[in-house]
Amino acid sequence: MKENLKKHRILTGVAASSGIAVGRALFINRASGGSFSTEIIHPKHFVREEKRLERAVADQACEFENAETKVRGMSQEQSDLLEAYSMICRDPKLMELARKAIRQDRLPAGLAWEKAVRSVLKSFEKIDVPYLRERAEDVKSVGSRVAARLRGRKAEPSPALGCRVIMAHDLTPADTLALAPENILALATEMGGQTSHTGILARGQRLPCVVGVTGLEEAARDGAMVIVDGIRGLVIVNPMPDELAAYQKKQELLNLFEARLRQEAHLPAKTEDGCRVRVYGNIETTNDALRIRDLGGEGIGLYRTEFGYLSRLDLPTEEELYADYTRIVRGMAPDRVVLRTLDIGADKSLAGIPKLEESNPVLGLRSIRLSLYCPDLLRSQCRAILRAATHGNAALMFPMVSGLRELRQAKGIIEEARRELLERGEPCAENLPVGVMIELPSSVFLAPALAKEADFFSIGSNDLIQYILGVDRENKYVSYLYQPLHSAVLEAVRQVVEAARQAGIRVSVCGEMASDPFCLPLLMAMGIDEFSVTPQAIPILKYLIRRLNMPELRKLLAQVYDKVSTETTRRLMEKYMNGRFSQELQFINLGAKEDA
Amino acid sequence: MAHNTEYQAEIETEVIFTATVTVLNDWGLHARPAANLARIAQGFAADIYLNAGEHNANAKSILDILTLAATRHTTLTLTCLGTEAKEAGEAILRFFAGK
Repeated sequence: MKENLKKHRILTGVAASSGIAVGRALFINRASGGSFSTEIIHPKHFVREEKRLERAVADQACEFENAETKVRGMSQEQSDLLEAYSMICRDPKLMELARKAIRQDRLPAGLAWEKAVRSVLKSFEKIDVPYLRERAEDVKSVGSRVAARLRGRKAEPSPALGCRVIMAHDLTPADTLALAPENILALATEMGGQTSHTGILARGQRLPCVVGVTGLEEAARDGAMVIVDGIRGLVIVNPMPDELAAYQKKQELLNLFEARLRQEAHLPAKTEDGCRVRVYGNIETTNDALRIRDLGGEGIGLYRTEFGYLSRLDLPTEEELYADYTRIVRGMAPDRVVLRTLDIGADKSLAGIPKLEESNPVLGLRSIRLSLYCPDLLRSQCRAILRAATHGNAALMFPMVSGLRELRQAKGIIEEARRELLERGEPCAENLPVGVMIELPSSVFLAPALAKEADFFSIGSNDLIQYILGVDRENKYVSYLYQPLHSAVLEAVRQVVEAARQAGIRVSVCGEMASDPFCLPLLMAMGIDEFSVTPQAIPILKYLIRRLNMPELRKLLAQVYDKVSTETTRRLMEKYMNGRFSQELQFINLGAKEDA
Repeated sequence: MAHNTEYQAEIETEVIFTATVTVLNDWGLHARPAANLARIAQGFAADIYLNAGEHNANAKSILDILTLAATRHTTLTLTCLGTEAKEAGEAILRFFAGK
């Protein structure tokens, strides 16, 4: 191992947050931090081991309790979660079991603690209520952090170390909350994908981040010089001098480019020839919403409301949802906020929803189907939305609608919610626009009919592409078939735009396709004039739009319709965009993924 | 949440407080109520237990309460022993009664 210490390694992962950082590594949470000594202890050390245990537990609990004061703008869910963590940490049952393991089994503190945690986890396994059984994850998370302390590894980088690239096997929400952002240059983890919590946090703090880096723990030692390339998804350990110089140069250029983007962010999204389009942001939390305006966003085109349900231990009440939604709607007014109703599958466990063992969850009880299966849940969310909508410019949107019957059923629930509110004497929005997400091929075929009963369409390109092409892009054996520029996908978009135009309703694109520079020109040429993208993509999208012109784009689209082959379309678009934006494209993470 | 019976006695020096309580909130004793209950129990010197069938939970332990898996309509036996048993019992009844 020693000879690997300075070994140059280039590791690939998933670029989760753009940017480049050069600095020294600091590991805070390895998968196996080495095992504890298994020797039994002498009775004269019982008290010493108990003291070590109490100390580690108290320190960890304090860290959870203090995290709140350190992290500005923490949501209620996050703060509840931390409180539950601290209660689990200080739980008398765990302590009693661990003490018993010290005194009866004569185990040292670390092993005794791990035994106590295992024993509690075993009793959780027997629980037959899924949303209670799932709490085992919290016990594990707390347990491993106390264990790390007993190994002598502190979970938090000390400010004295200066700024570091934080590395970890995986980061739990509690880990990331406990980190002080001002001491972090970048994040890199062995586990995780684009949508993992770490990536979300990194994007929020504008820290470069690469996740899912296989071999990271083995290759990088504490203090090693590393480069984190959040554009291409690379971690370079012990870089060569020329690499280091190249990256420092690239970092400078990137800084200049970003400064330019910031300067231009507030200019309107208008093409060279004066065609005005709208650029909105996709958000998940109330915190995300705060950034939209700074980034030049003209509103929120997709508010994924799942986070309010999943980031907590129980179900949110109507009042809590109302408070969250109101904060966003009021904060963004008079700009628009489109709230998408709950869009999760029965594979995600949610308090109060049956956790199903479905053989094919993607085609199962999910999204609007799940909401219609649990109408109380949907009604409660609709009430919260109807009430929040009185504070600004809000709209509601149903995900994964397959046809008219579902749309009518779901709209029926909005009406029930409205009646309930009227009975309660609660103010609610009179004319809440109700939109349909176009994500299933059936909704493309039925777009003309749906357009008559919907106030707007929003194309959720990620799912639409997945269902049209029958491809799971997370599956590495078939992901090459996931092609946003596939002729069938473009034809679907064309049909949807046409149906919307006939009915006189608006249509936006809110998936990744909207921020893909190679798709953007074609979408614009087809007549899409609203784009909703991940917040950090707003400035670059506006930058590109401001440098395009419609007659040229229409010519491109005609060529694409003419060619019909996906491969030629791809080449045509790459040639065109690389010709126009050769400098800029090197700073855009072309593989960026996002759920929509 | 409501309680059906209440029984109080003093055996020698130890105070005992017992009662039957029914979980009435929608999602049962899930994380947030479990945390609140444990916090209330921790405020008393008494030993406080909740029984559901063969499960016996220390009411001061959020983990014990969660593993009771007490869903809506579950009936639990509350037992408080020792100093402050009565006060603790009453506080816990108030919790189950919803205030």
